[in-house]
Amino acid sequence: MVDRLAMSPTATLAVGARTPTADIYAPQWRNFIFVAPFLFFFTTLLLFPLLWGMWLSFHKADTFSSGNFVGFGNYVRLYHDKVFLQSIWNTFYFVLLTVPTLALIGLFLALCLNRRTRTAAVLRTLFFSSSVLSVTIVTLIWRIVFIPNVGLLSTIYGWFGATAPAFISDPNLAMVGIAIATIWWCIGLPMMLFLSALQQIPQDIYEAAALDNANRWQTLRSITLPSIKRTFILVIIIQIVLQFQLFGQAWLMTRGGPNNLTKPIVLYIYDTAFRRWDLGLGAAASEILFILILIAAMAQYLVTRSRGDQA
Amino acid sequence: MKLKKMLFAAVSAGAMMLANPSFAATELSVQRFFGACDADFGTNTDPTKAVGECGIITSLINKFNADNPDVHVNVTTVEWPGYDQLTAQFASGDAPDIVTIHESVLSDYQSKGLLMPLDDLLKSVGVTPDAFTDAARNGATKDSKIYGLPIDSWTMLYHVNMDLFKQAGLVSADGTPIFPKSPEELLAQAEQFKQKTGKPYFVQNLTNETALYTRNLYTYLFQQDSDFFADPKHVKLNTPEAKKVVEMYKAIFEKGYTTKDLDYGGSINAFLAGEGGVHLNGTWVVGDYNAQSETKGTALNKGGYAVYPYPQLFGGTHAQYADGHTWAVSQKDRTPEQIAAIGKFLKFFADNDFEWSRTGHLPAYKAVITSDAFKALPHRNTISAVADLGKPLPSAVQRQFAIQDIIGEEMSAAISGQKDVDTALADMESRVNELLANI
Repeated sequence: MVDRLAMSPTATLAVGARTPTADIYAPQWRNFIFVAPFLFFFTTLLLFPLLWGMWLSFHKADTFSSGNFVGFGNYVRLYHDKVFLQSIWNTFYFVLLTVPTLALIGLFLALCLNRRTRTAAVLRTLFFSSSVLSVTIVTLIWRIVFIPNVGLLSTIYGWFGATAPAFISDPNLAMVGIAIATIWWCIGLPMMLFLSALQQIPQDIYEAAALDNANRWQTLRSITLPSIKRTFILVIIIQIVLQFQLFGQAWLMTRGGPNNLTKPIVLYIYDTAFRRWDLGLGAAASEILFILILIAAMAQYLVTRSRGDQA
Repeated sequence: MKLKKMLFAAVSAGAMMLANPSFAATELSVQRFFGACDADFGTNTDPTKAVGECGIITSLINKFNADNPDVHVNVTTVEWPGYDQLTAQFASGDAPDIVTIHESVLSDYQSKGLLMPLDDLLKSVGVTPDAFTDAARNGATKDSKIYGLPIDSWTMLYHVNMDLFKQAGLVSADGTPIFPKSPEELLAQAEQFKQKTGKPYFVQNLTNETALYTRNLYTYLFQQDSDFFADPKHVKLNTPEAKKVVEMYKAIFEKGYTTKDLDYGGSINAFLAGEGGVHLNGTWVVGDYNAQSETKGTALNKGGYAVYPYPQLFGGTHAQYADGHTWAVSQKDRTPEQIAAIGKFLKFFADNDFEWSRTGHLPAYKAVITSDAFKALPHRNTISAVADLGKPLPSAVQRQFAIQDIIGEEMSAAISGQKDVDTALADMESRVNELLANI
């Protein structure tokens, strides 16, 4: 839109020479009609809630009334709230557990399944199939695996007379349990992105390498990996933004426990705003999350722009 | 000519039906927890044939619909306790007409003017507060008005596997279980139980759980006469009394006298499979557990099932934490027909409180609790005592479910060793006070 408006003076001149009334790029009020539906939804569903959220974060508000202006009071409360600080750490820890694993396993699967055989096609479908499930189904499946005494893991450990690790209740393992379920759920997208990147590498480079007697390791290190570097960064950034928003798995598998060790920021916001009715504090926490995701998005923008400049 | 007359008559009758809304059934939206069991009781209109909370409430509402063709109740079942959803519904102006609310939660919604005072409506259908038990009337009354029709009083209980108690030598000559009278005795009996049966004394749901921890703490604080909510806006939990309770449960956990990694469903399965002596669970499972004990081949059928209030472990007043369920009515503009339909629904539940009390909950009506029919129900001779022992938090304390979560989280951390007891109690107190200071 901006580009087109910027072009319009030139376009007016060029077109105006021939038919003075046919200037389709001239700024006219009726053109607003075309963007009005988008602007309406953008304003009501995005801009207004965003600004309202900011306004709320400076007020002592509950679900049924917006109270007094408290300045940065809610942010100060957050700063002193051990549970909120814990939830920020939990979110980073979860991102750290899942994102590199998703990227590496996704790449490994893509490398293994990047061939034109029927088995590879079936396996590709199989690995992607978990992505279509809803979070409720995914957590249900993994609860059945992890649940003590009668769960799948307990049964398997039981065959060897051992006790299964308590992935839902052990303070050291609960987040790992959620990460396992998430990786199983989300592995499809990175795998597909890597597959599409691998299939875009020109075949003649591999043929040249083969003529130079390059072995498989050398080919992987010197041709394949450099060629998919940008996809790798893309996968990492997409996954960071996605996994930062962890909510459903933690809520349904552990309820944020034990002792808030698996409570991510979004769950903290939900808990504060909707279960404790402390809407002002919840809004302030949302603004912090907004800033964190904004930083990630800016990083994505900067990385992709600098890559683009180099290209 | 005859045909013409008949046609006129039919058209006139049709027009009258359309013009007079009283021919159409009045729709009421009812929202409740207690679970979904439509596969078993979806069409049952005879509550006497139902068991358990879900079965009985489903059958009661079915019966109400069948008995009242002029009213149609649409039921939405929510996951327990359903308050997140209800709050969102109130905030968006889409609250159900009638909804299940705990007595401990009524003040949250009542203080915001979201609930309708029911005194006049109940009076119009012949239900007066003096018919309620003291506990039910106190629980449903806020600012001197009734804000929910009480249907029960509930509390936590010791559900006992008598077979394992016999094996452990914890049954007296008259066949009743022997319970401890002090924390030290509790630990000694739990050790004896573990030695003799190889199983933990307690079956507890300690995973994904906060309510159990909190209710245990409240009960044993009451038993020490600790007035921890003397000021409804400020709690005192970093006290020697609270420390005694947390340390007792910590010892139970550390010495293996309890199941550890079970969630609520898992703990029920474990108790029914005979994996421990005492299940700490509420009044709501008495009916189900009793039915199990009467089924041959089950762990509870082997040596019997017994159920008792929590034993008195400390030197204060004999008491235990209690709460109750009510039907509350949302505040909104309604037609006289809709208000009359709500009145009918509430009256129906007041009249059928005996059926609801078969769940194991204690009745909310004096006439039912003193009736022979109620006394004749299994185990009521042992658990009726909680009608007098039961004690709620002061009704002015708001956000009781949020407070329950904080206390449960901190107790869980202390008991499982993630935090030392003093730190957990200090954090518990400061977090609850921070919450209350910002209401």
